[in-house]
Amino acid sequence: MKTMPKNIDIDPNKIFAKDFLKSTELPIHQYQKSIDDELKIHGKENLKEVLRHMYIVREFENMLNSFKTTGSYKNIDYTYNGPAHLSIGQEAAAVGAAFALKPEDKIFGSHRSHGEMIAKGLSAIKNLSRDKIKSIMQDYNGGKLISYVHKNLNDKEFNDAEMFLLSGVLAEIFMRELGFNKGMGGSMHAFFTPFGTFPNNAIVGGSSGIAVGAALHAHLNQEESICVANLGDGSTGCGLVWESMNFSSMGQYKNLWPEPYNKNPPMLFCFMNNFYAMGGQTLGETMSWDRLSRIATGVNSEQMHAETINGSDPLSVADAIIRKRKLLIEGNGPILLDIECYRYSGHSTTDTNAYRSRDEIKHWKFFDPIQQYSEKMIEAGIINKNDLNNMSEKVQNQIEYLTSKVVDRELTPSIDIEKNPTIIGDFTFNKKVISVSKITSDLLKNEGEVNKIKSLQKKSRFGKSEEGSLLSGMRAITLRDSLAEAIIYHLSRDKSLIAYGEECRDWGGAFGVYRGFSDIIPINRLFNSPISEAAIVSTAIGYAISGGRAIIELMYSDFIGRAGDEIFNQLAKWQAMSAGELNLPIVLRASIGSKYGAQHSQDWTSLLTHIPGLSIVYPATPYDAKGLMASSLCSNDPTVFFESQRLYDKVEIFTENGVPKNYYKVPFGKAVKRRSGKDITILTIGASLYAALDASMELINHNIDAEIIDARSLVPFDYEMLLNSVKLTGRLLIVSEAVERGSFANTIATNVSKFAFKNLRASPMIIGSPNWIAPGADMEKTYSPQSEDVLDLVFRDFFPEKRINKRGLRKDWDFLDLAKKGL
Amino acid sequence: MTDIIIPNLGNEISEAEITEWLVETGDDVEQGDVVLLISTTKTSLEIEAPTSGKISQINSNEGDLVQVGEVVCTIE
Repeated sequence: MKTMPKNIDIDPNKIFAKDFLKSTELPIHQYQKSIDDELKIHGKENLKEVLRHMYIVREFENMLNSFKTTGSYKNIDYTYNGPAHLSIGQEAAAVGAAFALKPEDKIFGSHRSHGEMIAKGLSAIKNLSRDKIKSIMQDYNGGKLISYVHKNLNDKEFNDAEMFLLSGVLAEIFMRELGFNKGMGGSMHAFFTPFGTFPNNAIVGGSSGIAVGAALHAHLNQEESICVANLGDGSTGCGLVWESMNFSSMGQYKNLWPEPYNKNPPMLFCFMNNFYAMGGQTLGETMSWDRLSRIATGVNSEQMHAETINGSDPLSVADAIIRKRKLLIEGNGPILLDIECYRYSGHSTTDTNAYRSRDEIKHWKFFDPIQQYSEKMIEAGIINKNDLNNMSEKVQNQIEYLTSKVVDRELTPSIDIEKNPTIIGDFTFNKKVISVSKITSDLLKNEGEVNKIKSLQKKSRFGKSEEGSLLSGMRAITLRDSLAEAIIYHLSRDKSLIAYGEECRDWGGAFGVYRGFSDIIPINRLFNSPISEAAIVSTAIGYAISGGRAIIELMYSDFIGRAGDEIFNQLAKWQAMSAGELNLPIVLRASIGSKYGAQHSQDWTSLLTHIPGLSIVYPATPYDAKGLMASSLCSNDPTVFFESQRLYDKVEIFTENGVPKNYYKVPFGKAVKRRSGKDITILTIGASLYAALDASMELINHNIDAEIIDARSLVPFDYEMLLNSVKLTGRLLIVSEAVERGSFANTIATNVSKFAFKNLRASPMIIGSPNWIAPGADMEKTYSPQSEDVLDLVFRDFFPEKRINKRGLRKDWDFLDLAKKGL
Repeated sequence: MTDIIIPNLGNEISEAEITEWLVETGDDVEQGDVVLLISTTKTSLEIEAPTSGKISQINSNEGDLVQVGEVVCTIE
């Protein structure tokens, strides 16, 4: 009997039973501990440290504000050209949360996260052993930053680890080489992972899915730590945030995942709710919630254990985090905290406060976190006024001292672009490659017992019979099978690798590449995701930067739009924005569709080749699919792997011995010659190979000997092979199924014009899909280039004397007229 | 007498593999019972009995490749 992969029957009798949906009250400002209670829990010195940390955060941001608005700070003149999204007034939220977090807990922030990352760093420094801190500082950047601190910021008055932290952040904000990310991230992206601060994000809500991915990694590795997404209230309007809340509370963790993974990932959503999303007021204007915590009631029956917390009181925030952290470690995530607070500073320093009244700002100043907390400490006799003033003064001196050194361009320079003009490009790819273990592990069955693997072993490796006839995909290894072979090889041997996407488990992926994998790979490493393309990509990023590897599927490449920011701004950029501190070993599979029309049949390779930071491959044969997939899964750079749905059933006809049974790799950046010829070079991208090959057969009848090159890899692209070929043939036609306008084929054509101009007998031409929608199945052949279309162009543009009177649809198109019409 | 044939599953599919027989010769089946499982390059499929009756003949074994349109089983 067919094995049932899971057992959550949906019973209509239960579904249609009369009932009421229940929700419970969520606490709002229910914190009740007295200062004596807190004193007993934390001790006097710790409570004083909270105040000092708030002072540091405040003064640090006062300094930035002063530079932005006056060009100087305490007699230090400096023009700071970058952004300063300050959170003056929100210090209790940042410091209170950090105070309660452990050094190993990870926080991910927003574009307004200076305070959060400084506070978390200070908290880690307070809690880590001196030896540990010393080794962290020594290991980081070859010890350069700590040497700088010991040389230039050596006043014994100040703790060197704090100076290390603050100079790393400030140098990053000021875009200097000693910054934590060599100045490649800047103000909105600063982070330092050894202290538990992870990428802050300039895209509102952008951290949410990344943090969930990190929580998934912590969960699957049984780490006793939590992950925190510090988000603004404005991000409750962002799709990714909702996707991420759902992703972190999917029913399958508890219902389907085996022990010890049958718990929810330790994920905390901290909304630093200052009531304004830049100038739009979330409360009452742009959002529907009355209290931000209400949104948790829409996520799961536990209502995300949500609470609304007073973010002007650091101890109220710390109290909540301590309680919630315990729940999270026990597997009861995700949790939502609505931390209400207020920023007096503008959204940015150009903010004129047009959207709020001066009275409102004045009212909130009575709730100033530092003022309130100081009074409380004095009242409780924990600190006296004199000590308080000394503390404040010392912090001001610390920040002034720090700033005086970091602004100095001689002492603290930026990376030398004059000397090395392409240095930023060097951060784009790390080109690191892992080797895979030969030993299998973490499997439900031995490989030999798996039906999927047994059925592949029965098939012919080559796609033609001994008599030369083409074998069906039931008898020979197809492109789909060869992908499966490479992927199952890695999944079986690399425990850090997880695979997910919509219907990836039981269905085996929409096009069956993973069919049968659920027999062998445990569900916690191969699972169905919700229809949340943004979260699929975003969580993979968090999983990967935490030390894991992920292969994710987007079903149709048309759905790239649903994950636009996550692919364009996150996946493609974090390696370079972190100056190589982060690696993103992720393979994003996206299929190029067929038959379904405009929203399902687009070749969007060119959208992605336009974005720097992604390796992009598009194999057209089973041999290449397996070899390129192996290379992609070994790469530590993010790779987008395009697959054509029209090619899944293709058998191998080019490599004589067929698709090797054994594991092998096809390197990135190497094209392959499918046919040698002397009269014209036809470069094909992906599935167009087959149309071009058919055309080349017909061209022989007209004494035109075409050389066919299959690109295989788009980024990087093998210019060497192409230029060598064009040097011999003098003619180039590029065939791609991407729409012609803005296509990557145009970039290649331009480069060939530039680099092989003297060898060209005619201008390079490209043929792509026309600049309109992909029609449905019956009209599809009028859209993507067919062999007739290739023939038309070859005759028309390169061999007009041989032009023949028949062929495809494009024959008489006036391409210039179409272009003028925007088509 | 009713034949169970391998259905047409689209232009590109010409063959299917018999994954599993859920009946044996002589079994009684109701209309709609799943009789066999097949798989193609694209998908796995359950084939149901088109009518009630007794399985009188099974023409192929598990693991066999069969053509679209081929009679794999007969119900009387």
